[in-house]
Amino acid sequence: MSKTLFEKIWDSHIVVEENGRSLLYVDRHLVHEVTSPQAFDGLRLNGRTVRRTDLTFATMDHNVPTSDRSLPIIDQTSSTQIKALERNCKEFGITLFDIHSPNQGIVHVIGPELGITLPGTTIVCGDSHTSTHGAFGALAFGIGTSDVEHVLATQCIMMEKPKTFEININGKRKNPHAVTAKDIILSIIRKIGTSGGTGTVIEYRGETISELTMEQRMTICNMSIEAGARAGLIAPDEKTYQYLRGRKYAPKNYDEYVSLWRETLKTDSGARFDKSFTLSAENIAPQVSWGTNPAMTTDVTGVVPFPDEYGKGNSEEEKGAEKALQYMNLKAGMAITDIAIDRVFIGSCTNSRLEDLMEAAKVVKGKKVSSRVRAMVVPGSQLVKKNAEEIGLDKIFKDAGFEWRESGCSMCLGMNPDILASGERCASTSNRNFEGRQGTGGRTHLVSPVMAAAAAIHGHFVDVRELDLN
Amino acid sequence: MKGSVIKYERDNIDTDVILPGPYLKIHDYAELATHAMEGLDKDFHKRVKPGDFIVAGRNFGCGSSREHAPIALSYSGIKAVLALSFARIFYRNAVDGAFLLPIEIDEGAYKDISDTDLLEVDISTNEIKNLTKNKIYKMKPFPELIGKIIEAGGLFNYKP
Repeated sequence: MSKTLFEKIWDSHIVVEENGRSLLYVDRHLVHEVTSPQAFDGLRLNGRTVRRTDLTFATMDHNVPTSDRSLPIIDQTSSTQIKALERNCKEFGITLFDIHSPNQGIVHVIGPELGITLPGTTIVCGDSHTSTHGAFGALAFGIGTSDVEHVLATQCIMMEKPKTFEININGKRKNPHAVTAKDIILSIIRKIGTSGGTGTVIEYRGETISELTMEQRMTICNMSIEAGARAGLIAPDEKTYQYLRGRKYAPKNYDEYVSLWRETLKTDSGARFDKSFTLSAENIAPQVSWGTNPAMTTDVTGVVPFPDEYGKGNSEEEKGAEKALQYMNLKAGMAITDIAIDRVFIGSCTNSRLEDLMEAAKVVKGKKVSSRVRAMVVPGSQLVKKNAEEIGLDKIFKDAGFEWRESGCSMCLGMNPDILASGERCASTSNRNFEGRQGTGGRTHLVSPVMAAAAAIHGHFVDVRELDLN
Repeated sequence: MKGSVIKYERDNIDTDVILPGPYLKIHDYAELATHAMEGLDKDFHKRVKPGDFIVAGRNFGCGSSREHAPIALSYSGIKAVLALSFARIFYRNAVDGAFLLPIEIDEGAYKDISDTDLLEVDISTNEIKNLTKNKIYKMKPFPELIGKIIEAGGLFNYKP
């Protein structure tokens, strides 16, 4: 019988199956400081151990400061949580990339970077953006702390089988440096909505996806959760195998694995999906979110929509748009390019990898950040930072007036010192524009790294297709 | 279960407004509860009483996988959230940790139920009685497995 890629991975990980519910084996468990303390407490309380310490990897990313690492952490609650993870990893025998490790970074950046993420595996982490790892053809999803404890203890997770959802993206983008993977995924969420993928695993397919680099594919899969999906998947190909070759934790007999992956990890022709959606990439414009969820997004050439227009007759949608405009302090009908920006954040598990920084640097090189803007670049990991510095990106950003910081989740989620002040407006390469996400009263516009970089220079949004990015 | 309604006529109530990021560092559940819904309704913790229900629109609990969100609601006294639909991680966390019941209701019930209405929810009959308006609504029954986990008192007590 023809199977989808998801079904193949799912079937090969079933330990027990009964009445549509399955106990799945977990190949990789990634742990961070925020969603794990209670899980370790639970293990201790019940006298349990970690079943597979060799398949469990931890780092600290959410509340680490991105300033000088030689200084102590001032925030006591953050410091306590970080120390708790150190203690827990030591006590239970788990590999930890701590704040001083050259491999520290955002959990979804370091997984692939270290070759922990592999095609065909199942990966869980107490973080919703675990969907990122699906870019490698891994079935990867976020879980809560109770499930973290369950996986630590048993290396298994109980699930009902999600539905399958294929999203086909075809056609060539006219300017792939200006219209990025971020713009593709925002366009998808804008069309299918924040719950368009609920209960499904999305497989992204089509020529546009094949043409993307691994880092760009990660941006796509990363935001699957913003469409409500359990996970996002892209079938692995030669780019995938090349990317992972020689990475620290990639298997030693790598070629044998690649042969196996080549043979098995694809959706069979004739396999059926429960749901389907198709998008042409040809006419996608750079995207800017104007509201308080990622579906509230429009073209950079567009205007802030009128709520009734946005609602298209749906009164709840209309009310939602009204509330969003109020929170965002935007007037319907104003041009997106007239929105003035106070802050710029280039970073997060969505867009903090080397290519993201390289693309943004093209816009910044030789220019100055607008006097009204405070702008920062936060590399996703220490390795990204090191690689970027080797090719001089730090200098380009610093010369332009950007802050060049240490790796972590930073201003994506307002859990560490990097936050927006109330009323500040930020062009952000992160994934969520929810109310207060980047700091109480802060206003977030989701954009790509090149769009964020251009906004930093000009002080407002600009259509990056008009810039020379080649 | 009997309690009064705190209604938010909103879709996409996300985990960042249910329990804002800065409070994810708090380990004490009672203290977490004092920040529940703070991103949307600063007066929630003053208003909420043990046994209350939240009524909301579509895609309740979207966003982050933080279990702190259902924990904060649970420890502030919320027994169930009645919504048009739920984001899956929130739903799963609520059930696994036995923090609160995520109950799906239909448009009719959602429109009819008002803030402060007194409800009686019976998951054995899948009925919601509106004692204030003297009406009965049907809730969407829990799938079999989820019903069993709820009955057992969470994932850790559930024996297949």
